[in-house]
Amino acid sequence: MYRYDEFDQKIVDERVEQFRGQVARRLTGELNEDQFKPLRLMNGLYLQLHAYMLRVAIPYGTLSSRQLRMLAHIARKYDKDYAHFTTRQNLQYNWPKLADIPDILADLATVEMHAIQTSGNCIRNVTSDHFAGASADEVDDPRVWSEIIRQWSTFHPEFSFLPRKFKIAVTAAPKDRAAIKVHDIGIVIRRDASGTLAFDVYVGGGQGRTPFVAHLIGEGIQAGDLLAYLEATMRVYNQYGRRDNLYKARIKILVHQIGPEEMRKQVAAEFVEVKAQGALALPQAEIDRIQAYFAAPAFETLRDDALLAQQKAQNKAFAAWHDINVSPHKMPGYAIVTISLKPIGGVPGDASADQMDLVADLAETLSFDEIRVSHEQNLVLAHVKQSDLLVLWQKLDAAGLATANYGLITDIIACPGLDYCDLANARSINVAQAVSKRFADLDRQRNIGELKLKISGCINACGHHHVGHIGVLGVDKKGVEFYQITLGGSGDETASIGDIIGPAFAENEVADAVESLVDLYLNLRQPGERFLDTYRRTGIQPFREKLYAAH
Amino acid sequence: MPQVLTANRLLDGEVVYLASDGAWVEELASAAVIATKAEGEAALVTGIEAERNQKIVHAYLFEVIDTGVPLRPVKQREVIRAAGPTVRSDLGKQARS
Amino acid sequence: MPLIKNNEFVDNAFRHIADEEALPDGAIVVSLKRWHAERDALMARNAPIALRLSSDQSPEAIGADVHHFAMIELEFPKFKDGRGYSWARLLRQRLNFKGEIRASGDVLRDQWLFMSRCGIDAFEVDPGTRIEDFRTALTEQTVFYQPASDRVATVLELRHKTHSSSQRASVAAE
Ligand code: SF4
Repeated sequence: MYRYDEFDQKIVDERVEQFRGQVARRLTGELNEDQFKPLRLMNGLYLQLHAYMLRVAIPYGTLSSRQLRMLAHIARKYDKDYAHFTTRQNLQYNWPKLADIPDILADLATVEMHAIQTSGNCIRNVTSDHFAGASADEVDDPRVWSEIIRQWSTFHPEFSFLPRKFKIAVTAAPKDRAAIKVHDIGIVIRRDASGTLAFDVYVGGGQGRTPFVAHLIGEGIQAGDLLAYLEATMRVYNQYGRRDNLYKARIKILVHQIGPEEMRKQVAAEFVEVKAQGALALPQAEIDRIQAYFAAPAFETLRDDALLAQQKAQNKAFAAWHDINVSPHKMPGYAIVTISLKPIGGVPGDASADQMDLVADLAETLSFDEIRVSHEQNLVLAHVKQSDLLVLWQKLDAAGLATANYGLITDIIACPGLDYCDLANARSINVAQAVSKRFADLDRQRNIGELKLKISGCINACGHHHVGHIGVLGVDKKGVEFYQITLGGSGDETASIGDIIGPAFAENEVADAVESLVDLYLNLRQPGERFLDTYRRTGIQPFREKLYAAH
Repeated sequence: MPQVLTANRLLDGEVVYLASDGAWVEELASAAVIATKAEGEAALVTGIEAERNQKIVHAYLFEVIDTGVPLRPVKQREVIRAAGPTVRSDLGKQARS
Repeated sequence: MPLIKNNEFVDNAFRHIADEEALPDGAIVVSLKRWHAERDALMARNAPIALRLSSDQSPEAIGADVHHFAMIELEFPKFKDGRGYSWARLLRQRLNFKGEIRASGDVLRDQWLFMSRCGIDAFEVDPGTRIEDFRTALTEQTVFYQPASDRVATVLELRHKTHSSSQRASVAAE
């Protein structure tokens, strides 16, 4: 994985000292809250319901064991022994003290981490495919390009006060695991007929109050021009994105209002100008330099493991976990392991400091010292030898980390909601827990098959409810929590925005509602159909009838 | 409806309430119950003063159902601020009592 | 408003002229509207003229006229309104404007550095601003990834001119 050189390190170190000064000025009163707020937000520091919240960037979701151990250490020393992994591949501490933040940031800097641009109207942490470098379907490691974009976007002098926040996601596989079409910019890397890398740039996707699927704006951009194209897109947005209305300020609204054709024209014109300046052309030497950091680890030459079948036959729980949480690796004899952070009835995305330490140890010994954080709020060990899987599973199981539910109905994405979040209308974790307990039975979950349930506590949609096969949105009706259900959303390469099924449900009705939707799907499905497939075939009507007839 | 003045403490973000002696207290039970509009305005002035003195951040009033003890906020948001996350009873103010 | 340029407080040579106001002698700042309406009369004057652009006015609209101005003032109505950063870059890089670019309005201390990188070289600041604070703010960060209007060597340039050999060695050692 990428390692800082002296320049990267100095940028982060200087930032820590700058923020130390800002916090000191705040505590003496030289800065009031109005002046301090934009500064703390630029360093990932929010004030939530109960306390401050610090959001740490995990660029494109990749961590070393040393970094994860530091995250655990910070949870112990400055927080309450746990942290929360988010749908943006970030990590949140829920209880830090303001006076400790500079020290926390200094600790993070010692392991090449920071909280820069995890908030504010700037280019946020770049996200990517959590199976990068391990999945057979990719044409290149998307993290090379994510890192290039990370550097270009860090403290960009022109684009730090955009109309709104700006999120970029990158994938290099036809199977989209990074939800790129619901990002402000989503990049798909492919190879053209001659085998050269080409970048398709999708612009104007997003969730929130007005969800949109992105349009293909830049097609087949060459590697050396990638940053010039992004700069051109950002400049068009910075100049013409709306600033009069917070809810219309994202780039998706600009693309929607002027139309994708006009957007293409404007970006293309700006692209010509930026390219003519030349300064942003990416030298091959830099591409090579960063590529070297992401070179494949020293895989052994193995065959697919013969013992595995026997181990599975002897241990039913291991077999289930293997079938569900282990994905094929591009190298024979290796596997990709998803560590679910969704124990039945637990808090989606939360991990204790001890669990983080354990995963760091396991990654160090069994997966080339590397951990991934997925936007689905799970952890991934991307390069595990098949012959190590049983041992790995045993250790995970002992720590409550072997829940077999990857991609199933209890692998729920849920934002923190009203239990923590200052912007929330309703809680989301409680709803996740109720549904999770309702479907706890593994055989039942497996029979249902892939079903992505996503819950947000307000229309900001941090829980990605718009792209859930079943989405749940918390709303506030005269001070009481209600939940609106959407169906048919998807965040993959067939991206779609879910349809609202009807009037919202009370908190204690949500699990029942989900259950009747699932039961109907089981009745309607044709062989091989997932929930989403059935829904796309039948449309919303039968589901609507079932749900509201039953109530 | 009766009200209470709340804010977050600048140093650690802890949820605090204005008590009748002018102190900022951590427990809703010790908060001053504000009955009239004039009292509410006076409390807000105290809040702004405390913001200026780097004690607290963002003071505001919220409504409570004053049925004596315990004081219960009308909105779920304030119930959760007064206690802690409903999904982690080991965290927040509720864990201390 | 005090004005800072080249790390020092300087006198403001330009007078703001409202759109209806009669043209006085001496250096003046006019709006884009007035420039469009009275371009010839303004050009015939024998004193420096400056243009002020509100945050929704692109300098591209003035095209080659840009070189008539001794100074262009970019207004920042709110610190969150970041259009001026793009306008400054367009002025410097596309229109090759060599005169003063001044930032006025709601500008935070921690924005001065970004503005300066974008090509803004004069800053109206709040009364009471200390020049040391300005100088500190401009030097709190010294290493930059992106090429911008200030032509400071970027990390890329530093890496590949002076550090490419040692970098490759450290990668190999990973
Ligand atoms: S979706 Fe709303 S409630 Fe949930 S974390 Fe985002 S802002 Fe908070």
